Amino acid sequence: MNELRVVIKLMMKEKKDVLLSILFGFLAGMGAVALFANSGYLISKAAITPPLYILTMSIALLKLFSVTRALSRYAERLYSHRATFTKLSNLRVYFFERLEPLAPRIFHKYRSGDLLSRIVGDVESLQNFFLRVYYPPIVMIIVFLATIAFTAFFSIHVAVFLILGLILTGFVVPLWFTVKQRGILQQLRELRGNVSTEATEFLYGFRDLKLYQRLDEQEKKLTNTADGYVSEQERESVQELSNQSVIQTLSLLVSWAVLGMGAYLVAGGSLDGVFLAMLVMTSITVFENATPMSAFPRYYEDSRRASSRLFSVIEEEGMETRGVEDDWEQIDLTKAPAIDVENLSFTFPGEKRLALKNIHLSLPAGSKTAIVGPSGSGKSTLIQLLLKMNKEYEGAIYLNGTSVRKIKDEAIWKGSNVIMQENHFFYGSIGENLGLAKDDLSEGEMNAVLEKVKLEEFSLTDSVLEKGGNLSGGEKQRLAIARAMLKGSKLWLMDEPTSSVDVLTERMIFDHLLHQGDDDTMILVSHRLIGLEKMDQIIVMDQGEIIESGTYEELMDKQGYFYEMKQIENSVLM
Amino acid sequence: MKQLKEIARKQKNSMYTLVLMSILLGAVIIAQAYLIVVIVDSIFLQGESFHVILPALLSLIVVLGGRSFFTYVIGRTGVKMASKVKRNYRKALLSKYARNPMQGALKGQSGEKVSILLDAVDEIDSYFSKYYPQMIQTTIVPIMILTAIFSQNWVSGLIMIVTAPFIPIFMIIIGKATQRKSEEQLEKLAQFSGKFLDILQGLTTLKLFGRAKEKQEAIRQSSLDYRDATMTVLKIAFVSSLMLEFISMLSIALVALEVGLRLIIYENLPFFTAFFVLILAPEFFNSLKELGSAFHSGRGSMGAAKKVIDELEETEQPVQWGDAPLEERKEPPAIELRNLKFSYGEGSFSLKGVMASIPPASDVAIVGRSGSGKTTLLHLLSGIIAPSQGEILVNGKGLHQYKEAEWFDQLAYISQNPYLFSGTIQENIAIGGKEEATIEKVKMAAEKAGIAEMISKLENGYSTEIGEGGRGLSGGEKQRIALARAFLKKPSVILFDEPTVGLDLHTERVLQRAMKELAVTSTVITVAHRLHTIREADQILFMANGELVAKGTHEELLLSNSEYRSMVSVHEGGNTK
Repeated sequence: MNELRVVIKLMMKEKKDVLLSILFGFLAGMGAVALFANSGYLISKAAITPPLYILTMSIALLKLFSVTRALSRYAERLYSHRATFTKLSNLRVYFFERLEPLAPRIFHKYRSGDLLSRIVGDVESLQNFFLRVYYPPIVMIIVFLATIAFTAFFSIHVAVFLILGLILTGFVVPLWFTVKQRGILQQLRELRGNVSTEATEFLYGFRDLKLYQRLDEQEKKLTNTADGYVSEQERESVQELSNQSVIQTLSLLVSWAVLGMGAYLVAGGSLDGVFLAMLVMTSITVFENATPMSAFPRYYEDSRRASSRLFSVIEEEGMETRGVEDDWEQIDLTKAPAIDVENLSFTFPGEKRLALKNIHLSLPAGSKTAIVGPSGSGKSTLIQLLLKMNKEYEGAIYLNGTSVRKIKDEAIWKGSNVIMQENHFFYGSIGENLGLAKDDLSEGEMNAVLEKVKLEEFSLTDSVLEKGGNLSGGEKQRLAIARAMLKGSKLWLMDEPTSSVDVLTERMIFDHLLHQGDDDTMILVSHRLIGLEKMDQIIVMDQGEIIESGTYEELMDKQGYFYEMKQIENSVLM
Repeated sequence: MKQLKEIARKQKNSMYTLVLMSILLGAVIIAQAYLIVVIVDSIFLQGESFHVILPALLSLIVVLGGRSFFTYVIGRTGVKMASKVKRNYRKALLSKYARNPMQGALKGQSGEKVSILLDAVDEIDSYFSKYYPQMIQTTIVPIMILTAIFSQNWVSGLIMIVTAPFIPIFMIIIGKATQRKSEEQLEKLAQFSGKFLDILQGLTTLKLFGRAKEKQEAIRQSSLDYRDATMTVLKIAFVSSLMLEFISMLSIALVALEVGLRLIIYENLPFFTAFFVLILAPEFFNSLKELGSAFHSGRGSMGAAKKVIDELEETEQPVQWGDAPLEERKEPPAIELRNLKFSYGEGSFSLKGVMASIPPASDVAIVGRSGSGKTTLLHLLSGIIAPSQGEILVNGKGLHQYKEAEWFDQLAYISQNPYLFSGTIQENIAIGGKEEATIEKVKMAAEKAGIAEMISKLENGYSTEIGEGGRGLSGGEKQRIALARAFLKKPSVILFDEPTVGLDLHTERVLQRAMKELAVTSTVITVAHRLHTIREADQILFMANGELVAKGTHEELLLSNSEYRSMVSVHEGGNTK
């Protein structure tokens, strides 16, 4: 339950809906019990020709109970679902509040791209928590207690049997299966992961598998793994089925015992025979409320896992950020800053190889620097460290002589125009997406930058789909540049901003950029070596190291690494 | 869905088990009611002593045990059926993919196919494990109960027969209304539910623009909007259950009223019958209601089943290999392309009648703009896809007349993005070898491919795990692993898709030297992007829009083909400015 503490806390914020769900769940459960108890009583009474008013009353009650039950069930569903969805909303907000300060660093720590969809999925799967884990047992217990109290009025023995039934079907069996189920579910997840990995290998590696004649082997292996997965699924289903059967058997047994005990008592004269049918019907009906308990183990385990995964992301991270808040140094980034890097080395968490090795750099205020090198050489990592997206590095990075470690993350972000390799665009319009850059931007300003990046055919009201799905790679890049231009900070950090833009457009955009950022400090990470003549400095990197640096002419004259890369680029068609 | 039903019917044994168990279940439900009534009746009205009812009490416990047992067997049978179907579908999908997944892989649909294989097949489960057994049960049990009631008291039976049909009718009416409503809300729902992910994905961007905090309210609002939109749909579903509940409850109350009145006022019904009917009535309606919820879970399966079946029915162009031996000669085979045609399907890209001849040990460059059919031609040459018309002759015989293994034994394919299998570096290189390669041979190949040094620096050396879940390699390193595979294999034909961008100088140099070395003994066919490769080729196949527009050496094409000339010169001009 510990993992679910926060979820329960958030749920209790919707106290009214929760209480109403329980209340109506109780009424619905009791309605059914009362209905059947009453009908059992009715016909028993009828068999011994009672006064008519008793019958009329019973019949009136019969109607009342059936209507109560049906309406309460409806209300219960309504309130419980409302509570659930409101809880999800609270949960998202709560989670976002805590995740937000950790971004974007956290995304670099968990390099797997599915972290986010996992978060979304986990939140979603917690909707079952209230609906199937939390309140059904509560309702069950209250309905049982009320029923037990009612039967105790007629026979203590019957009541004792019902108490026994409640303990077994409501606690012992579900808990026992919860423990048993845990291992299977764990195993199931692993097997599913294996199937997924092997299927991915089979399909993505198809050509190589085929040519190396390993396809049959892989097919067999995958078939086996998939079969194993199905067998485990079967085991899980059968387990759940057993749980259900055990609960059903116990319910029937208790009703049987109630009948036997009742019959015994009536025969012995200590219970009026007219109540026998009623007690039996009561017992049979009250166990309807135990049915949801057969799904309890699975949903409980699901919720527990989802919750613990969800909060482990933010808790673990939360530790690192605390404590350093106090002594931030203020620096002025309204003017172009100078950047110095001293003896910088960095390794990605979980990897052995250095991503950056003893980097020394000095970029004067207002200078224009290009960083080039093959993919994986550490170009982007350098930008990320500068933006404090990762902090566990050796050496130091200085902005105007102040170590970035001492500058507040937000201050650096505010002071820079960043264009990443992947830039996010939100569902909405072009205008809304550009509007992120700065408050109170006029349409004229936005249209002007669209023109600069050669997107004049776009209107500000054009819609943007999720992740900019309706935009091409080049359009997204140009839009990102436009957004950065609007922001107007004095430090430019650009990571392959135009890799999907054709050479001609790229040059025009760069002309605009260099014009706008004439006084600004610029760092441009580039794959292409074209158009770097205007840069003050070109840094060439390979395998995390700076191999050479200098102006375009210097590097070409030197005929070193850059020169050779340039020769290759020249010789590549398209 | 018809197909699913047919599949279920084909599992004859399981179906018979289900029918038999349902009949038995019906029988014990009736027996249960009967015995309870007997006991209550004897004790309460006949005033018998306890030991008289003991036999009935003991029979009852057997009957109750039977009820649990039959329910369990029905559930288990369903689960087994589901497992079998899932296994069969996976197998069918896999063998289909194994026969010819190339089209899918080429269209970049691998991710989608993984999802069909994993998720869609899993979703079929509930049709067999829940819906189908319940359906059989519901066609049998209520009828048996009804018959039992009719045999005792036809008036109650009539009440139930009249009210029961309202349940399916309401289910259908309301099911349709729900569907319509949810379709109406679909876009809204998708939009609201996507918002959270959208914001999370854009969190870095938001932070960089200092906008993240503002989004909290947007998340709350969209979540609440989602809640309200969902609730409007759910309300209909709830109203439907309410109506069902009303129908069954009122019907039961009606029956209770009827038996009660006849019992007392008309005195023409014994207590025994009245109680019997009263116990069975809810069983009857419960069985009908359960079908409703099972139907709900079965419906999801149908959509998934459609996906799987569509996938299985998609037409393919299977590749058939013959059994002619391809004996290893001193020199590589002569290859001849005769009017080679290929299409990815109607309206999409096609290759139009390529004619060329590739002499043994020659060096061919395939050149053209992107989308001109270069890679398709390379795939055809490898034999993993078959031409729709025309043929490839190898040593004068159709390529696909040879034994598959013998052709592939002589072939290496180095793609731009070579696939690394999960396993060690040694295994990944050794996969190129014809037989089990010794570590010495692997090391020699790695040496030649210029990756030995990098491997030796790794802590686990050649035993380092790479591929899925293992250590990532850079693009250049992957290329060199692929080269090492080729060096180990010593193929007579090498197909090479030259990288367009982004390799480190070391790999570039290794590639140039290695390809030269490999070309001495092998035929090398390269989709070429580098001028030096093109210049040095014995023959250039110049492609445009799926057609082979010209062939010859670089010099010849410069003279004879203006399109080629402009491509090369524009490019050079573009770079040297």
